[in-house]
Amino acid sequence: MTFEKVNSKVVKVNLATEGDVLARKGAMLFYTGEVRFVPHSPGGAGGMPSMSGMLGMAGRAMAGEHEAMMAATGTGEVHYGRAGLHVSVVELRGDRLVVEASRLLAYTANLQSAVVSLSSGGSGGGGLRGMVRGAVTGQGMFTTQLSGNGAAVLLSHGGTIELPVRPGGGTFVDPQAYVGHRGNVQVKLAAKVGWRDAVGRGGGEAMQLELSGDGTVYVQASEQKL
Amino acid sequence: MSQLRTNGRRVLEAELHNTSVRAISGSMVAYEGQVQFKSAGFGGGEGMMAGLKRRATGESLSLMECTGSGVVYFALDAQDVTLVELSNETLQVESRQLLALVGQLRMDVKFAGVRGAATGQGLFTTTVTGTGQVAILSAGGPLIGLEVSSQYPLVVDPDAFVAARGQLNQSFVTDVSWAAVVGEGSGEPFSLRWDGQGVVYIQPAERA
Repeated sequence: MTFEKVNSKVVKVNLATEGDVLARKGAMLFYTGEVRFVPHSPGGAGGMPSMSGMLGMAGRAMAGEHEAMMAATGTGEVHYGRAGLHVSVVELRGDRLVVEASRLLAYTANLQSAVVSLSSGGSGGGGLRGMVRGAVTGQGMFTTQLSGNGAAVLLSHGGTIELPVRPGGGTFVDPQAYVGHRGNVQVKLAAKVGWRDAVGRGGGEAMQLELSGDGTVYVQASEQKL
Repeated sequence: MSQLRTNGRRVLEAELHNTSVRAISGSMVAYEGQVQFKSAGFGGGEGMMAGLKRRATGESLSLMECTGSGVVYFALDAQDVTLVELSNETLQVESRQLLALVGQLRMDVKFAGVRGAATGQGLFTTTVTGTGQVAILSAGGPLIGLEVSSQYPLVVDPDAFVAARGQLNQSFVTDVSWAAVVGEGSGEPFSLRWDGQGVVYIQPAERA
């Protein structure tokens, strides 16, 4: 286990065995041993393996998909937590995780990070649709993608459940409760008759995310945005 | 009949096989399969009397009916979910803490006493009667079930009260010493007293 859950809201990681870790600025609770913290800019001079997407730092800022990160290096053990939110550890083995920057607590520096449109890679996903979704749900139209071998820690209100995503689709998630997904998954925005009654808590737009492909979607037990 | 089960502490799953489940509107977080959602009106039944009661009491909850085949996942504000099985009995529940119900269950709004007029708490409560499963929510942690017997009546803070079942009588007590302890704000400080035989469920947090 790269990140070890101390309880439902705190994780710890050993830098000596796991290497450098990137985490939300301010998420460090305490550490033991020799640890140095360096501000991490996603533009990424200094050999940090971060930007592989087509968007540069300006793009990131424009997309709103940017949180100040700190890199932790050394040989000690660091504890992370944030705002009493629940943590979920996701181990990646050559696959990819898509999650909004605001819901990403920490990840190992050996993962590749990029900003992607939520719909990219899908057959029907265009930039326009992604923009519509971002505008409608208030969720970002761009998200952070992590890939490679390593681990990441997700933040959620009330913890996450994992639902399988299948090739034929048929997995639907309330945009407010959507946390992220892993694997080869396409996300599509859909509107349904009657949906207004089911989600939205008081007259939001009747929108839902339909996921298809091969992977997992993480759903939180609340409709609170982070 | 549809079946409810919990997934972890805070998520409720309903498995549908061409069946349906009623749940609080807006509580669906995800679903798999073919499921239709439509408004199922309000708790407390249909018709003019029910409508009048709702308007008079404010004890309203907006329900939706989910019908089809698949699995529906419900959660609300990261509150804990507890399943209660009813077999031909009545559960009295705070309407805001009801998440979902399946089975042969009838909902009604019941007059519970005059005492709550000042605070709006406990004057009317929602009752669920029949046989089936009810999922209830508790803020601040898992639901706490307290046994009430004839020798041991129970007094609870109305803001912590969630549900009650059994042969119970509810009354209101005003006690000066309680005023300092509970109901920190303004308003009429009072407590709910339960006599008889049954279980009262409370949550480890007070509703604002």
